[in-house]
Amino acid sequence: MKVSDFIDVEAGTLSREIFSSETIFQRELERVFAASWCFVGHTSQLARSGDFFLSRCGTEPVIVTRDERGALHVLLNTCRHRGMPACRYDAGNATGFTCSYHGWSYGLDGALVGVPKFKERYQGRLEREKWGLIPARVSVFHGSIWATFDETLPSFEDYLGPDLQFYLRALLQGPDGEDDGYEVIGGIVKWQVPCNWKFGAENFAGDHYHGYSHISVERLSVGLSGKTSRHNFAAVKTPRQAMSVADPQRGHTIRASVYKSLAAYDPQEGAPDEVNDYYRACHERRQRRLGDKARLLIHGGVIFPNTHFNSAGRTTIGLWLPLGAARTEVWRWLFVPRNAPTIVKDTLREYYLRYAGPGGMVEQDDMENWTAAQRGAESLVARKYPFNYQLAMGLARGARPDEWLGQEVTITEDVAEHNQRSFYAHWARRMAGGG
Amino acid sequence: MTALDRSGALETILLQAEIERFFSLEAELLDERSFDEWLDLLHDDIRYWMPIARNARFDQPELEYTRAGREASWFDEGKETLRKRVLQIQSGDHWAEEPRSRTTHLVANVRVEAGEGADITAKSRFIVCAHRLEHDVDLFIGKRVDVLRRGTAGLKVLRRTIYLDQSVLLSRNLTTFF
Repeated sequence: MKVSDFIDVEAGTLSREIFSSETIFQRELERVFAASWCFVGHTSQLARSGDFFLSRCGTEPVIVTRDERGALHVLLNTCRHRGMPACRYDAGNATGFTCSYHGWSYGLDGALVGVPKFKERYQGRLEREKWGLIPARVSVFHGSIWATFDETLPSFEDYLGPDLQFYLRALLQGPDGEDDGYEVIGGIVKWQVPCNWKFGAENFAGDHYHGYSHISVERLSVGLSGKTSRHNFAAVKTPRQAMSVADPQRGHTIRASVYKSLAAYDPQEGAPDEVNDYYRACHERRQRRLGDKARLLIHGGVIFPNTHFNSAGRTTIGLWLPLGAARTEVWRWLFVPRNAPTIVKDTLREYYLRYAGPGGMVEQDDMENWTAAQRGAESLVARKYPFNYQLAMGLARGARPDEWLGQEVTITEDVAEHNQRSFYAHWARRMAGGG
Repeated sequence: MTALDRSGALETILLQAEIERFFSLEAELLDERSFDEWLDLLHDDIRYWMPIARNARFDQPELEYTRAGREASWFDEGKETLRKRVLQIQSGDHWAEEPRSRTTHLVANVRVEAGEGADITAKSRFIVCAHRLEHDVDLFIGKRVDVLRRGTAGLKVLRRTIYLDQSVLLSRNLTTFF
């Protein structure tokens, strides 16, 4: 299998087979998922020592814990003796984990602390220090927790690169511009979609083009104002330039806008006064804190390969977790500003629930379309005909005039498939064995 | 059994029959896509809530379903959002329901509990089967707790709590009502 048979970067075309081939999927597990830093959760889920939750690192099941000393651990959730999950509870607080098969038990740091018949039948000779739960490398970035089992990868900061460090930090800043400004709403939303994971990834990477998908919900205004659009930023009167921002070396992508000027807060008409008061105060604090960079509005993006996020007043982070070439499990963490009053948290939570996920009036139409696209990728005849990614080709530029948009990123303004092309070019490099 | 007991029993049976008829009517309206008429059966102050199930330890049952008003859920909304969902399905360009799914709602094991004043609490089980396009089948099974309020316009659903048995939703969408 030659990856170049499936992608033509110059022409802007991509074989349908990369969405339907199980052979390609198996190679993706190894070369893309196992060889990446992956989002596994957020520190607000581990407020106390002993707190834990189950997550996925790429496609691997992991336990994320805070131990007695406050240190974070990401542990492969499989007993070293016979492979059972060491933990079978989605979340909770514990002093450790005991496998339900033969009773091997592990501490919050993964150390093997209990082995039945250790003295009698292992003659005390089992080297317990060598048989702990398999630990991942862990990195905490402004509250977000990332992990990988790949010892050869660079640090998470280097994996992100300098530009994406700026964007991811900005994404995790509260509405007032304070670092690590969000907390997770309890309850991770998990569901399955019968389509390839890349349909979701490329959509979140940079699809400014699919407004038609959401024509029905746009008419109904499900945003905070209830009067303008599904997007809260539709209430902002200051002109802005929408753009696709891609890190061509690393495959990460950002959907963003830059406002033409710093302006006063425009209220979400119809939202409770307390909500507008909160956001007005945040808006002003953010401008004071960030200066000219407060013109940036991040809509969303993808940290390569499968960590996706939405921002711009609806901060969620999610994972595309492939179960096969044609089936994907989606996990979604919903975030509210940590220091916001309860009414703001409640208003946001209700907005997310009518917007996102399988109950979301916006994303339902995405899931329906990706499912249908998957059938199109499986057709034997149609597989001879590639998908088209030529939208706004050849219009990319660097980060000018606002140099703070990045040193290494490339940008195409307005509606474009710039980010999708960059995402797949990097995907192809990784699939071919490159970094 | 005394005569008094029998008259009490008769009232219980009549109430049971009334509530079961109400739920059957709701199911029929939904399956016939008479969504506006279905909305009329909901109280203007309805809270429509469907928490997310989690796998919790036996001694932490409070963790099994996400908490009302604080945590994520599949649905947590009032009549305004429900009305928007109906309008979306009726619009003809809500692709997740265009063409529309064929649904069958079954409500069973209805147990009417004593209510306060004009309110009646009823527990039930549901099976909702949704077929769409050529091959897609979604099956939703779970429990419901409803508070119905009796007013001048008859019974209305004041609170509906829907406990889906699935933890990870095995379907791509929840475009039907429960």
